[in-house]
Amino acid sequence: MKKNFKETSKAGAIAWLLQRISAVVLFVLLIIHYVTYHFIASGNVPWKEVAAKMQSPWFNLMQFIFLLTALYHGLNGVWMVVEDYFHSRFWRLLIFSLILVGGSGLFFVGMLTIFKVSNLNLGA
Amino acid sequence: MYKRTKFFDPNYYKFIGSWAWILHRLSGLALIFYLSLHIWVINSLTYGPDKFNEVMTFLASPLFKILEVGLWGVILFHAFNGVRVVIVDFFKGSLFHKKLFFVLIAIAFVMWAWGSYIILSHIR
Repeated sequence: MKKNFKETSKAGAIAWLLQRISAVVLFVLLIIHYVTYHFIASGNVPWKEVAAKMQSPWFNLMQFIFLLTALYHGLNGVWMVVEDYFHSRFWRLLIFSLILVGGSGLFFVGMLTIFKVSNLNLGA
Repeated sequence: MYKRTKFFDPNYYKFIGSWAWILHRLSGLALIFYLSLHIWVINSLTYGPDKFNEVMTFLASPLFKILEVGLWGVILFHAFNGVRVVIVDFFKGSLFHKKLFFVLIAIAFVMWAWGSYIILSHIR
């Protein structure tokens, strides 16, 4: 049998471990995210409130870690599902490339949001 | 050669673990779809207060708030079943994973009711 890429016995082990580590990180960050953004009194989150939060470098560091782990966990999860149902080299390469391109694009858009909003001058 | 995995084999669905597994998978796929939308839509923060507040007012309609309640449920299921997966994988959770499932789902359900109450109180 010809060995496909990523199909040695150890290939999935690190991804498996990282999936669980990122899961624990996400569990904590998701609750913080929900309480700070979605469960606040005003509900209909006004721009000013969000922008004010995003002036704190520590808050932005958390957002960055959240974005990174959420995308990693989500796209690695998609890849795990794909590995169960797609077995040809062609489809796997195609989908893996799409995941990489899509993930990079989403990461870029997310970072753009963090950087642009945190650099805005609230007084002006 | 590979044995092809059936997406839904009724023989396996006599057990709670199989349901947890397939629902974890489906909710995961739903969540990465939502995460992509969320990262994209929240980029409207960079267009300034007027545009962002317009988007947020649109999303404060009853339809989107009810969808949000559903989303909160899907998130909680995935998060709490994820806790179960971690406990089964790293601790001796396989010995009590069925009980664990119901305990964690009960906690998730309480959190769902609490969060849904807050979300629905935000309807404009």
